[in-house]
Order: sequence, then structure tokens, then C-alpha cells
Amino acid sequence: MSAGPSTLPPSQAPSTLEYGGDEISALVLDPGQCWTRAGFAGEDTPKSVIPSHYGYIEGAGPDGGRKLYFGDNDVHAVRAGMEIANPMSDGIVADWDTAPSLWRYALTSRLAQDLSEHPLLVTEPIWNPTKNREKTIEVAFEDFDVPAFYLARNAVCAGFAFGKSTALILDVGAANIAVTPVHDGYVLKKGCQRQPIGGDFLSNQIRTHLANMGISITPHYQVLSKIPVDVGKPAEATLKTWPEGQAPTESFRRFEEERVLTEFKECCAQAWPGPGPLPAIMPEGGVPNVAATRSFEFPDGYNMLFGLERFRMTEGIFTPRSMLASANIPHPYPEHTLGLKDMVFAAMKDVDVDIKQIILNSVVVTGAGSLLYQFNERALHELGIAFPGPRVKMLASQIPVERRYATWLGGSILASLGSFHQLWISKKEYEEHGANIVEKRCK
Amino acid sequence: MSRSGVGLAGDCVTTFEQLKLGKKTKYIIYKLSDDKKTIIVEKTSEDVDYDNFLADLPEADCRYAVYDFEYQLEAGEGKRSKICFYSWSPDDAPVRSKMVYSSSKDALRRALAGIHSEIQGTDPSEVCYETVLERVSKGAGNR
Repeated sequence: MSAGPSTLPPSQAPSTLEYGGDEISALVLDPGQCWTRAGFAGEDTPKSVIPSHYGYIEGAGPDGGRKLYFGDNDVHAVRAGMEIANPMSDGIVADWDTAPSLWRYALTSRLAQDLSEHPLLVTEPIWNPTKNREKTIEVAFEDFDVPAFYLARNAVCAGFAFGKSTALILDVGAANIAVTPVHDGYVLKKGCQRQPIGGDFLSNQIRTHLANMGISITPHYQVLSKIPVDVGKPAEATLKTWPEGQAPTESFRRFEEERVLTEFKECCAQAWPGPGPLPAIMPEGGVPNVAATRSFEFPDGYNMLFGLERFRMTEGIFTPRSMLASANIPHPYPEHTLGLKDMVFAAMKDVDVDIKQIILNSVVVTGAGSLLYQFNERALHELGIAFPGPRVKMLASQIPVERRYATWLGGSILASLGSFHQLWISKKEYEEHGANIVEKRCK
Repeated sequence: MSRSGVGLAGDCVTTFEQLKLGKKTKYIIYKLSDDKKTIIVEKTSEDVDYDNFLADLPEADCRYAVYDFEYQLEAGEGKRSKICFYSWSPDDAPVRSKMVYSSSKDALRRALAGIHSEIQGTDPSEVCYETVLERVSKGAGNR
């Protein structure tokens, strides 16, 4: 949800002494809807974090095909005719033509030169279909030529990173919020819930609100210079102009607008802390503190104070019925969408009564979306109402980096274990049994 | 086989059987070997004081433990004893350690037959006598 972290200094596999790992040459790849994270197993943060979005220009490639642009620097560069696209959809790979190139870039641009020397562990969401899993192992062995491969469930990895083999994983991603009950390191598939109310949903809610207020978003790249203006006064900025046919594309503009919205989410948006849902009409003196109003300056200098709206924009996550609706901006059907509490309720419905208590005792919150200010407080309130009996205990790292990379970190440690060696699928086994081996070995 | 590929040392199960059948051992503490490839027995004890057992769980590292939990039923219905499995994983433990312990728990847990309840502990309040008593006796027991 935030702008990309700068990757750490020039890459080298970590030394055994430094990290106390047994096996240091494995690579870990955690492809997400918004960011693709890669790094060496045994390290505590991924060294290569690139946007999952990529840029392309039709006909500019070597033989008249597409020229592709990956990575933070290239994707955000202003180029005539460059379109922005994303090979991921709903948190899983939808475009298999581009995803392998994106992954190769993530792995080779900063980390390893020769992929055939490093075992590869990839993480996947629970709803990844068999076809996609087989395709992943195919890409790993046939395109990348890795010596060994493993596919790990992201929720399980996140739970392990918190020291829990039995837990409820609440993962707030860009495409989805996913709630996954895990028992003894195995996902309880029946209980898995996901709803399209993650970071992208929040962006669209903010877009809707701004559109309703008549505020247009001018991305940074369009602004040449700006002069400070008073609150609510029209912007007085000089915008860049491009000669005919040289202007950046609409998809690029949208992608850059998203960056402004991300900034907005970080500085302004806030979850209503509860208890109870956000009231439709504030009681007298309902928002006691001045802190409830915050100002936000847009790239063109226009600035505005935001009060209660800051809570309204996020309320859809908890009570979908109160989501902002608009004819032009996509949003899920409020009636068919479950809020956070109902998702957890649905997830726990089929869980055996004996382990219910243990699971509710370790609710692990992860994903960059959960860094939304006061998200945890509200979530805890909601869960407390839904499950008044046993104590609901929430585990969330206070360190933003750990919250964003918990899944990667789990994969990183798993792949670095000496004892994990025997679980890798080797190239030989793949050649003997075919892609279907992934179904048998990576459960 | 656990999710991490960690295996068991030979005496893990036999020590447990002694606790279960011998009724002499009070608790067993298990840990991962230094090369993190096998689970080994760190300590067995016949000490009946619950606080001494808690003192054996390190503050900043993970452990597994089996404790033969005894409690008194109300109205003189006698004593009961239940065997509990603990996975101790405090917040202050290194991430790596939490990870290995939680992903390896399965290997040990599945090898031990006759466990009554499982306790996941991250702070002392979750493994204190009262909490465990309530879990084990379902609210019916006394000290």
C-alpha cells in the first residue's frame, strides 16, 4: 500500500555466520497483486521488491513485438505510448505470458545471475487453482531451469513466521482480504474466505469520494511547478504539456494516480476505531478532538481538510453496506459482500469446536493493507463482538516491514532449514512424474 | 514428517511412554537439536511444583513440553490427571526459532498418543496454572 521500499545494497547471498542458516543459496519468491517480493532464503527482508505492474510499448520490441519494462524506475518513467498492465488478477497469475518475465526480472536483476544454481521456493494463495500450480512448477523447471522447487501456502508461511501452526490468518492484500484458518500447519480449506475489499477497493472508495467532492487527481508527473494556495482554493499549478502523440497513456495516468491515493491512504484514511460501526449521523460532540480533521495536499498544490470522510472511506471494509457507490468507479455489490467480521464468522463456522478456541487465541494480522491507521483496534472490536466467549487474541507485528513481508519471511526461513532439504521437489523427480507432482508434494 | 522436514530423536517417544505409563515423571521438555534437524529431549523431571515447570520454559526461546496435569474434582469425586502438550513460543523469541518450532510441531505431536489437550503459549498468562486448569477440566476442577 505504500511506495516501494528501497532495496538493500548490492546483493550477495548472506553468509552462514551472519544469519545462522544452514542453506544459503535458495531463492524465495512471493508474488502478490501489487508487489512481487524476492530474496535469498535465510534473510529477514526481501532484497528485491518490485511492482507487479509492468509497462509495455507495442511494436518497440526486438522483432516488432512488445517491449517490456519492469521495476520501480522503469515503470514510473514517463514514456510516450507506454501502457501499464498487471499480470496478476485476484491475487493469482492471470497472464502467463508476462508473469515469468516479471519473476525472472525480480530474481535476476538484483539477486542471482544464474537461476540454475539456486533452489526456488514460491508462495501462493489458497485459492490458486491446480492449473496455475502446475504452470508455476513448469516455469520454474523449464524456463528458469532451477535444480529444486517448492510451492508453499502463503497463509501457512505467515502463521509460522509468528510461531503459530494453529492460527487464523487475516491477510489484507491489494486485491483481497483473505481469512484463513490453519491447523497444525495445514489450511482448513472449507473455512477459507476472501472478499474483494483490500487495498484496491480502498483506493476506489477514495476515488469515489474525491469525485463526489469534485476533486480531480493530478498525478505528480503532470505538474511542472506549483504555488501554495489556501485551503479549498483552486490549484495554481503549471502543468506539463506534451506534443501531439507523445503524451503518456491513460493506463499510465491511472497507475500514477494510484500513487497519490496510496499517499492519501497513508496520511489521511483511518479506520473508525469502534466500538460499533461508524454512526450515520454523528451525535453532538461525537468527534471530540480536533485531530479528527486532517489536511491533504495534492500534487498540484490543491489542499483540503478531511474530517469524518476519512472514516467513511474505510467503513466499507467492516460494513459493506455503507460503502460509497458510484456509477463510474467499480465496487463490489454491497449486498453480496461480507465485511471483516462476517468473513471471520464464516471462516470459523465449520471449525471443530475443540480447536476453535486455540485458533481464536492466535489471530495473525498481516498484509500491507492492515497498516491502515487503527485497523487493528477496529478489527479486534469487531471480533470481540462476534466471539464474546473465548478470548480473541490478535498478533500483529508493530514493525511495518514485518507486517508487509511476513509471508516472504516465513518462506525465507522455511527454505533455509537444513531439514527442509528432503522436501524440495528435485528436477529429476519433476522429469519423472511431470507437473502433477506439485499436487502430491506441496499440500 | 513435519512441514519443515524436522525428525525425532529416538528417545522422544520412549520418554513420553514412561511418563504416560510409569506415572513417575511429571514433565518432559523437548527442544530442537543445535543443528535444528531433530527434536530431542532436553529435560525430564519428577518435580510436582508447577512453577518450577514454568521456570524451565525460557523467556526468549521456544520449547515443546508435555506435562502430566493433576487436579482435584469438586465434592470429593477424586483426582484426575490429564496429559497436556505445550508449544511454547514467546513473542521475544527470534523469528527463526518461532518458525522452526511451529513448522516442526507436527512431527512430535503426532508421534505422541494419548495427549488430552494442547496448549499454545505465547506469554506466561496462557500457560499459568489457572488457564490450563480451566482448559483441561472444562471449568470443573479445583487445585
